[in-house]
Amino acid sequence: MTTNTPYAIEVVGLTKRYNGFLAVDNLSFTVKKAEVFALLGPNGAGKTTTVEIIETILKPTSGTVTLLGMDVTQKKYDIIPRIGVLPQGFSSFDRITVRETLEYYSRLFGCRKTDIKGLIALVNLSHKANEQYRNLSGGLKQRLGIAVALVNDPEIIFLDEPTTGLDPRARRKVWEVLLGLKKKGKTVFLTTHYMEEAEVLADTVAIIAKGRITAMGSPGELIENNVDYFTMTLTSVDEKMAENLVGIIRDMGFDPVPDTNDDTQGSLKIFLEHTDDVRRILNAVNHGKASFISLDIRKPNLEEVFLKITHEPFRHDLSSRRETP
Amino acid sequence: MNLNVINANIIVSIKSFYRDKTVVFFRLAFPVILILVFGTIFMERDNEIFDLNIQDLDGTASSGQLITAMDLSKRFKITMVDPALNPRPYAMGDKANLVLILPKGFEMSLMEEMSAGSSGKSVTLTTLYDPSSFGVTTKMGVLELVLARINQEMSGKPAPIDLTEVSILKKKYRFIEFFVPGIIAMAVMTACLFGSVNLNAELRQKGVLRKLSTTPITRIDWILSNVLYQFILAVVSTLVMLVVSYFVFNVSLAINGWLLIFVALDVFAFVGLGMILTRVAREAESAAAAADALMFPMMFLSGTFFPVEMMPEFLQKFAKVLPLYYVNEGLRASMVFVDHMASLRNALFIGVFALVVFVIGVMITTFSGEAA
Repeated sequence: MTTNTPYAIEVVGLTKRYNGFLAVDNLSFTVKKAEVFALLGPNGAGKTTTVEIIETILKPTSGTVTLLGMDVTQKKYDIIPRIGVLPQGFSSFDRITVRETLEYYSRLFGCRKTDIKGLIALVNLSHKANEQYRNLSGGLKQRLGIAVALVNDPEIIFLDEPTTGLDPRARRKVWEVLLGLKKKGKTVFLTTHYMEEAEVLADTVAIIAKGRITAMGSPGELIENNVDYFTMTLTSVDEKMAENLVGIIRDMGFDPVPDTNDDTQGSLKIFLEHTDDVRRILNAVNHGKASFISLDIRKPNLEEVFLKITHEPFRHDLSSRRETP
Repeated sequence: MNLNVINANIIVSIKSFYRDKTVVFFRLAFPVILILVFGTIFMERDNEIFDLNIQDLDGTASSGQLITAMDLSKRFKITMVDPALNPRPYAMGDKANLVLILPKGFEMSLMEEMSAGSSGKSVTLTTLYDPSSFGVTTKMGVLELVLARINQEMSGKPAPIDLTEVSILKKKYRFIEFFVPGIIAMAVMTACLFGSVNLNAELRQKGVLRKLSTTPITRIDWILSNVLYQFILAVVSTLVMLVVSYFVFNVSLAINGWLLIFVALDVFAFVGLGMILTRVAREAESAAAAADALMFPMMFLSGTFFPVEMMPEFLQKFAKVLPLYYVNEGLRASMVFVDHMASLRNALFIGVFALVVFVIGVMITTFSGEAA
């Protein structure tokens, strides 16, 4: 079946309740053909429920989801051959090899011409083709999962948290595979809670929190429309010096917070509106006879947008926090 | 129903099976071990010869003749106890659970008794026995029978009442031949119930079923794949049991179409039941516990290890609501008695049960975890 609609996915008023709990609340959005769409949200935001309804795994409580012009609740078995799915926490048969797993899924789809060897190469698993699933590392399992999602040469690929639990290196390997799909012009629907992942891969990002979409647009648009500050990061020698820095900076009316991305406990983040503030802070630190070992000044990224929109614990609302300098 | 999908599932299941040596052992070797152990125990029972310790304190020709007569009965393997030994510590030292003592003066008393002026008193032999020992009661019963036969012959008159045994079966069967069909039924049941519960609960917990729900596979394809895979293994396992029984115990049973029918119904019934348990119990552990709770009463109360007739009446009634009872009865009817009507009757009972659980299994099985 072919459709004239430019959208691969159309979601209108989608709602899902579990025994009274509202997991997805009246979602509406569209995904264009050949775009990479990322649904970004914290744990429990409703990402997986949303994607599983679109993938035909779950049934919606209300609302409609149209995939390639077909209603997901009515045309499940027409839709399934045209989509590929990597579910959250993909797993397979323990004692079946990489090649056999792909052959198995290919047979389920009735595909006689699946290029198993090509798929294995695409996800960089050629050296593990005859390895049983149980012997693969987490990253390799995810890459196999992506290959499985591609056995039927789908028009739309759903990837639910494809890199969760992977180390940074394995994550980047998965990204390489996904960027390859993007180049091939596949429609990719991605759910993730990694901001960098969405920023690197997605054409459109929708931020979901408590079952509702709170912002949507390209990563650039989201940043431009939602944050008007930049981040200054100071790293001190030790915790004692960091406390000293905190005192000085707080006296100026700023609110430094620990940098959660830094394990050394000696890094502080300060959110600033004006570049002039940087000079003033550095002067104050100098006069206060405090010191630091590194200084980093960054434009806001998607993470800041996400934190602002989802009201996560380390949210920084500059207007309410700053006092007159 | 998609045969390609079913075929793909069976191939994956069989590969997973033979690559897991523990599963292979429990599926194929465990029932064989049961047959070997119980077969050995019950083969002895069929022609049981008891150990009998005799202390001859008389040491005369008459006491010697009595011992010879007992030996000729072929029911005892006789060990003589030194007359100088105290028989009680001898027996207590775990050397014997029963010692027959021929008293001093045995010959003289016997002569007096058999002479014309009989006093009417019997010559008394003593048995010293350990009541805590398993099987000693049976041994004493056999001893009494043998002595009664010797007494009868010594009286010189034919027994007023005698007994002739006529079997209801055309052929004389041993216990092992009744036992093997029961073990086949039980082995197929446990493998199907556990195989189905473990496989499905594990795949559901790991999310494999969720992934499968995004493929063209249907619930019927999935359950039929499970049934056919279990049927293939059940046939292989049954053949192994029959071959081992034949070569080790020379067990010969009637192999006919009913065997395949009962194995198939056994598989359908218990894979279906396993599917229901997997759906009802949310976790793999609770599904396995529920399978245990169903399986153990069936193993012991359905007549696998001992006849249902040995149980109290209320348990006999209970046994008749257990599906395994009809598989046991059906297999014995077809393989031992070659009674086609009884086979058909039992096949109908288990067939209806299998159909009901299979349909319920199909209806309630889901890949997503949501209500079907």
